[in-house]
Amino acid sequence: MSVATSGVWQKNPALAWREIDEETVIISPGDSVMHELNDTGSFVWRNIDGRRTAEDLAALLVEQYEVTRETALADTLSLFEELSLRKLLISAEPPQGGASR
Amino acid sequence: MSSLPQITATPLMDRLIARTVRKRRPLSVHFDLTYRCNERCVHCYLDHQDYGELTTRECANALEQIAQAGALFLTFSGGEIFLRRDLEEILCTARRLQFDISLKTNALLITRERGEMLRRYGVRRVQISVYSSDAAIHDAITKVPGSLERSLASIPLLQEHGIQVKLACPLMKQNLTAYRGVMALAERLAIPYVLDLTITPMMDGSRKPLEHRVPSEALLPILQDSALQSCGTKAIREDWNSGPALGSRVSSGMESSAYEDLPCSAGHNSCYISPYGEVYACVQLPMAAGNLRTERFEEIWKNAPALEHIRNVRESALPVCAQCEIRDYCERCPGLAWMEGGDLHGPYERACSLAEQKARVAGFGNPQSAWHKKVSAVTGVSPVNSDQAQTESLVLN
Repeated sequence: MSVATSGVWQKNPALAWREIDEETVIISPGDSVMHELNDTGSFVWRNIDGRRTAEDLAALLVEQYEVTRETALADTLSLFEELSLRKLLISAEPPQGGASR
Repeated sequence: MSSLPQITATPLMDRLIARTVRKRRPLSVHFDLTYRCNERCVHCYLDHQDYGELTTRECANALEQIAQAGALFLTFSGGEIFLRRDLEEILCTARRLQFDISLKTNALLITRERGEMLRRYGVRRVQISVYSSDAAIHDAITKVPGSLERSLASIPLLQEHGIQVKLACPLMKQNLTAYRGVMALAERLAIPYVLDLTITPMMDGSRKPLEHRVPSEALLPILQDSALQSCGTKAIREDWNSGPALGSRVSSGMESSAYEDLPCSAGHNSCYISPYGEVYACVQLPMAAGNLRTERFEEIWKNAPALEHIRNVRESALPVCAQCEIRDYCERCPGLAWMEGGDLHGPYERACSLAEQKARVAGFGNPQSAWHKKVSAVTGVSPVNSDQAQTESLVLN
């Protein structure tokens, strides 16, 4: 699948997650599977709020880390693809009712 | 930034445990919401009276504080949790705080609507107590006629909402031979199970439940049964499926090498909260560290002398047990050492006699624990290898 730069995504509300020492552990209850994000993945995850686009998040990465806009956007899109493949992210548009497991 | 926000795809429970133990952060919390119950199991260690449970608001405050401290895994238990009229509100708070939520219940009160409610609040797993696949045996233990049928009827109501169900079967005199039936039941339903020989004294120290404990010498045929996955006092089947394609499966982590020289997770990265707000290292170690009605969780977790005392226990420094030749077969629990032997660092009869039975199964000729050897040397008499002997009179310093 491909993730549009302008698409808006939100965290799957059914997930359990915690940021522990700048790394994020995420558990999807439907399949009892754990996932882990490194510090930059955690930074993106923390800022996913159902309003920001991949472009917005890439801009935050540029501010936070020494990285070009192109690299930040490519990494953000790649992370979004991986997260949505794992059903950790769901589209925030159009609004969805209920939690997806 | 090195190029890449990435997801780690290796099993991570071990790393998570290692990190939280090293930094003394709470990872798992067992929270009993009530001691009230609609069953009267013969072996139960709880007093079912309500002496002033935490209110809904107090529960929410407690959850806020333990989330803030970093805990991820949350198990609600009791008593019977569905007797809390505010269970839905409590689950709603737990979901808002992004906990991984598991429940322990007898499932008598689970309906299709409640199954849907549990799904709505992201409950991942429900553990149901089943003592036998034979209703006569199960119902005699719970003292509730029809309870097995009702407990089992809840399973599809949970599964249809995608909630994982696990069977828990404490084994005691009344149901010792029932474990094969429970295993077969779990296999038929393709759900995980745990068989457990641990029967503990009551939290107030009363030894009444121990009357139902199977004497160690009667366990030999069980420990030799090849149908059990492991030759121990617990047989656990966690999963019937192969591993996930992405990520790693949540596990209990009990066997993690991250605990190394520690007896268990209690006080290191896990703790227990009672319905009255008391904080303990573990439900099996009723040494109160503080109370959430008067103190902040973080304060208790970081500063309580009771927790510090427990954290200082090292297996390699136990005065008697560290020298034991059969310690590899021992599942000594510091809580039971304290409750049954009166010493957090000491041996206790049940652990010694079980270790001896397990060592015998493993081929040792006449295994004897270090404690039993010491007793023999002092008294000239071999300890009676029976839990019925109640050898607490054999106190050594």
